[in-house]
Amino acid sequence: MSARLEADAEWDAGDLGCGELVLELRSRLAALPPGGALRLIALDAGAPADIPAWCRMTGHTLVSQQHPVYLIRRKET
Amino acid sequence: MANRFCVSLTHAKDNNDKATVAFVVANAAVGSSKETLVFLSVEGVRLAQKGYADDIREEGFAPLRELMENFAKAGGTIYVCSPCFKKRKLDENNLVAGASIVGGAKLVEFLADGSPCVSY
Repeated sequence: MSARLEADAEWDAGDLGCGELVLELRSRLAALPPGGALRLIALDAGAPADIPAWCRMTGHTLVSQQHPVYLIRRKET
Repeated sequence: MANRFCVSLTHAKDNNDKATVAFVVANAAVGSSKETLVFLSVEGVRLAQKGYADDIREEGFAPLRELMENFAKAGGTIYVCSPCFKKRKLDENNLVAGASIVGGAKLVEFLADGSPCVSY
């Protein structure tokens, strides 16, 4: 199944990066129900390193990563 | 992994680039669920005045005012060095959201449990 079919929401972050990207990403994930999935498109060159690190710190699950497309599942609590 | 993160910023319009990047990094920290502090000292205290940052916009970044507002909305804290603020005769009744004037003890308390700190 493709990432698109599994997502409950999608956000095209364009070329946002660094703090601007993850701060908005935090809000987008918070708007989903626990266990909900977000399909993120992030063009920034730092995203392939930053998004996995952000998921490790916040406890959300990086389901798949095929830059610039990321599927992130919100943590349960 | 520490749950706190501090960004120390000593610049304002004397170095718009550093002032901007400091808040971008602070937003990365608060956006990563860290209890985040921006410590403004030396020239950096000018950023604590409402309106001061309104015309600071570095190429490739969001306007500094927007970065600071987003930081405060996300729960970030701004400590403003009391003697630095006083020296510059700034207005303590005109602080931006999330800012408070503190002495060194508050900074030390925040850092004392092993919080990392990056400086600009």
